[in-house]
Amino acid sequence: MRDFTLFIPEYIAAGAAIGVLALELALPRLRRDALAWATAAGAAAWLIAALFYVGDAPGDFEGLLRTDAFTAYFRILAAGAVLAVALLSARYLRDRTRAAGEYYGLLLMAGAGMTLLSAARELLTAYVALELLSFSLYVLVGYLKRDARSNEASLKYILLGAFSSAMLLYGISLLYGLTGSTTYAGVAEGLAARGEGTDLAALAAIMLIVAGVGFKVSAAPFHMWAPDAYQGAPLPVTAFLATASKAAGFALILRLFTEALAVDALEWRAAIAALAAITMTAGNLLAIQQTNLKRLLAYSSIGQAGYMLVAVAAIGYGDAAAAQNASSALLLHIAGYTLSTMALFAALVAHYNRTGDESIEGLRGLSATQPFLALVISASLFSFAGLPFFAGFATKLLLFQAGTGAGLLWLAGLGAANSFISLYYYLMVMRRMYLFDPPEGQTRIRPPALLGAMAGLLLLGVVFIGVYPGPVFEATDGAAAALFEASAAAFARLP
Amino acid sequence: MVPLENYLVLSAILFALGVYGVLSRRNAVLVLMSVELMLNAVSLNFVAFAAHLDPDRATGIVFAVFVIAVAAAEVGLALAIVIRLFRNRSSANVDEAATLRW
Amino acid sequence: MAEHAWILAAVPAIAFLALAALGRRLPRQGDFLAVLAAASGFGLFFAVLASFLGRGEGAWPVLNAIEWTAIGDFRLNMGIAVDQITIVMLAVVTTVAFMVNVFSVGYMKGEPRYWWYFAVLQLFVASMLLLVLADNLLLLYVAWELVGLSSFLLIGHYWERRSAVEAAKKAFITTRVGDVGLLIGIILLWKATGTFNILDIIHAVEAGEVGGTGLFVSVMFIFLGAMGKSAQLPFHVWLPDAMEGPTPVSALIHAATMVVAGVYLVARLLPVFEAAGDALLVVTAVGLITALFSGVVAFAQTDIKKVLAYSTVSQLGFMFVALGAGVVSAGMFHLFTHAFFKALLFLGAGSVILGAHHRQEVGQLGGLWRRMPVTAAAFLVGSLALAGLFPLAGFWSKDEILHAVEGHRGALVFALISLASIMTAFYTTRLFILTFLGKPRDAEAGHARETGASMTGPLVFLAVLSVFAGFVVYGGVGEALGFPGGFGEFVYLHHPETFHIDWGLAGVSTALFVIGVFGAGWLYRGGRLDRAAALTAWQPKLYEMTRRKFYFDDLYQFLIDRVVLGFSYVVSWFDRFAVNDTGVDGSATLTGYAGFLLKHLQTGRVPNYALAIAAGVAALILVALAAGG
Repeated sequence: MRDFTLFIPEYIAAGAAIGVLALELALPRLRRDALAWATAAGAAAWLIAALFYVGDAPGDFEGLLRTDAFTAYFRILAAGAVLAVALLSARYLRDRTRAAGEYYGLLLMAGAGMTLLSAARELLTAYVALELLSFSLYVLVGYLKRDARSNEASLKYILLGAFSSAMLLYGISLLYGLTGSTTYAGVAEGLAARGEGTDLAALAAIMLIVAGVGFKVSAAPFHMWAPDAYQGAPLPVTAFLATASKAAGFALILRLFTEALAVDALEWRAAIAALAAITMTAGNLLAIQQTNLKRLLAYSSIGQAGYMLVAVAAIGYGDAAAAQNASSALLLHIAGYTLSTMALFAALVAHYNRTGDESIEGLRGLSATQPFLALVISASLFSFAGLPFFAGFATKLLLFQAGTGAGLLWLAGLGAANSFISLYYYLMVMRRMYLFDPPEGQTRIRPPALLGAMAGLLLLGVVFIGVYPGPVFEATDGAAAALFEASAAAFARLP
Repeated sequence: MVPLENYLVLSAILFALGVYGVLSRRNAVLVLMSVELMLNAVSLNFVAFAAHLDPDRATGIVFAVFVIAVAAAEVGLALAIVIRLFRNRSSANVDEAATLRW
Repeated sequence: MAEHAWILAAVPAIAFLALAALGRRLPRQGDFLAVLAAASGFGLFFAVLASFLGRGEGAWPVLNAIEWTAIGDFRLNMGIAVDQITIVMLAVVTTVAFMVNVFSVGYMKGEPRYWWYFAVLQLFVASMLLLVLADNLLLLYVAWELVGLSSFLLIGHYWERRSAVEAAKKAFITTRVGDVGLLIGIILLWKATGTFNILDIIHAVEAGEVGGTGLFVSVMFIFLGAMGKSAQLPFHVWLPDAMEGPTPVSALIHAATMVVAGVYLVARLLPVFEAAGDALLVVTAVGLITALFSGVVAFAQTDIKKVLAYSTVSQLGFMFVALGAGVVSAGMFHLFTHAFFKALLFLGAGSVILGAHHRQEVGQLGGLWRRMPVTAAAFLVGSLALAGLFPLAGFWSKDEILHAVEGHRGALVFALISLASIMTAFYTTRLFILTFLGKPRDAEAGHARETGASMTGPLVFLAVLSVFAGFVVYGGVGEALGFPGGFGEFVYLHHPETFHIDWGLAGVSTALFVIGVFGAGWLYRGGRLDRAAALTAWQPKLYEMTRRKFYFDDLYQFLIDRVVLGFSYVVSWFDRFAVNDTGVDGSATLTGYAGFLLKHLQTGRVPNYALAIAAGVAALILVALAAGG
């Protein structure tokens, strides 16, 4: 069935990407801000188009792609992330580079890739979408051509990314060999029906795939690219990496592990649980030692990935209902995490635009010079730590509850302990802002209008999810239900 | 027909060589070559499986073609970044590009 | 509209946020915003009332809830429940809040942090409205705490004064003790019934699903909370000190609304109290003791506001006595009328204080009726209502209480509550005479001037209410206003009670009034203190004890200084060495060291990273082999 209308939002995104590139070529003397606005407009159009598809019956494209509530969720997330990052980049880029058309074009492409990744039901499609996302990000990370650190970051990212995607492919090829199919449904069937003596092969295939996707979501020990990439990349790109790229990784994991690999849950669930444990611990322990803000946030988001992996492990350990619950909790956590991160970065970009300082020390006395930004940063950090009234509390609660629902009490306990540890380095940042005096001669400054408004809006979202998670939870529940509907047949074969 | 195992062993060896290359090479271009090697091993896998197990639909072959294309794009991108690095530091040594650490 | 009654709470909440964020920069520091919010609340109340009455009795209570969260099997709904008791409370809160806001514009002119005062005032109103609208105990508890917070902030408004800071602390801590009890009680009830929803709890109790000692214990804990908030013995100590706050605050919070939260809670849960053994007996006892005690203490107070404070404590005791007799309509009715005339008295006191240039001690006042006639007249109306003169509002509500006690509690209680009524009349008359009659005892009082319209306006309005509000007890009046009948037919526990005036009881009531008023009139005639001084000299020790409020405050201070602080030294030693140095610092150092060691793995070199990935794959395979299939 070739229903091309299913992906009109993505056409808009891609069209906007090309449009922005063309715009820059055609009107080279255009204010570089204008490109940001054009991108934002494109992303907004994409977002609005995506909203039209919410509530539609699931659509299928040749068995390769599927548009359902799950896809709609990630579409909205991607469009929103691109919109936010485009707005964040406006002044940032204007101050630092001359050419910006490719940046915005690639941003939109990355978002489109993310959506396709969440819609993919077949390994090749998924791979191509993944690479679309990754390639765009490789370039975006290294966009500041003259900045040595930006270079180094993108070099590490692409080398390691290529390495891990080769691993992923090798795993996929083994899977293909085992099952004779590359569609998720076909793989599930094949795995269920595989003969004796193929256990090791299946295991190797799955673990290679885990390594590949683990790299994407920065799970330990595949996380080592992340701190360097986050630190070297331009600030808005770091925001995109931290939110969209991670979310995309989890979209892939969710689709893949609930549909294709669910039958072999016994093989991978212990490994995923171990992965979750190591990731959250490593992320949090390493974050404590950091003095650079971007690096700290990288480790913090590694920790968050660890928490999210708990839900994935729960999918492996629990029964169908528990798995769906876990997916729903994961999606909610992604939403809350994205909002908090974007709010945080909005404030950070505003701060960086003014001072050019990336260190934690540079945030000294922010509560006196820019109290609103300090407030936004504190609220986001509190949300990461999982304090009540902020999104992180409700979402982490549901995440760990999903974990215990699947019998992973130790993991949930470890998660709680880690949240506790994480409070240290978040408070460390806040301490700098509130308890220290600002550097000499700095007086109170008003926050920039656009970034301030964005930050405020996102903060409201964070508080909203924290105080009244009901409506958003319903939405993610719907997405999770759609996810499992697609894989219902496969799951029925679970041992 | 050459037995399937032969192909698989060959591709495994190639893959392992590629991994070794990535781990031990200092020059970024050589690392990329090693990655290419790994990707070729993967293509070999796909083609072998397709020929033996799935001759009608040949999904694997299609996959292999895609892999080649994507690999080419990847390398192009990576080389561009390496050139950037070279222009900045006059060296393509991955060991030296280690200012971001800890 | 009735199901959207939450808007009544939302309006002042928004006003609070606006004033807190922008108040400083608005013209006139935003007081018009506050008055507007209060006025709209007042107006909206009538909309809610009309909607409520329009639905007819069958539709009561009006419910409206949303599902807040559902975690597994635990479902928590948040919403509002509007029933007859709620309507009475809404009437009281919105009316008095409106009057207080208007009054404050004049009274607080020129005071520091003018905008913040109005902001917190709105926060208070929002929380109080939320409290009476809440349909479940959890939401009620949140609102309860918010109300306590607003009270704390307002008592301590003049924080430059040490005494104000101390008073705010005292209020907060004393009510906190009660609040702990409330929380325990709520949790116990939840464990017994499985729900926080008030109506569901009442149904469960009435159906006999819960009972026995367990229920009695839960109910007693909840009553602890009510005792704290409503300043019943032995938690009464905070209320007189709370007079450190601005006088309009005393009128709103410490007379008409917050302190009656405890009464409201008990009234709301009265069916549960009824089913819990002797709970109602305890309520009656506490109320009675409090009423008598504070009445006596009020005799010896010389600060206008303190007299009124003790009077409030005493009247709250009256309300609890009525509730303890099982007659919810009597208790709520007295709450209703008391709100108006007590607010009137407090605002009148404020008017006096301002007019006499910040004089609060009766020793410095006197003879004000000539110089502040409007205030004096209003104050007179309020005093007479409080003392219970027929046919002012206070007469009817006190009569109802006497009726309830006579019918349900027996002769002893009746006698004691009558004694308390005499005392009420006595100290009220004393206050009026000493403040307004006779000759001014101080130069400033001699130059007192009547206060402006923004202050006298509310006084007049409340005076009118104090005169006429009592008539709603009659069925005819109630029906004319749209209610199903008189007060007793609107608010009732098991069956509506039509009001028929019992002339015998009315006579007794009036007799009590006469004894009290004329007693005080004789003692203080013409505003002269000589006879009173003679009385004091006759029994100096007794007088001193009364004036020192029977040493309750001193006792508490002693307990805190010796017992509590002493114990805390021991605990703090343990905390410092065992918990902090070893546990906390120790584990922190350990964690930090672990991180320090780990971070050196991140060498910055790509080959190392790649090795980690490759090794990771191998490790994963090993782990999977070891653990699973």
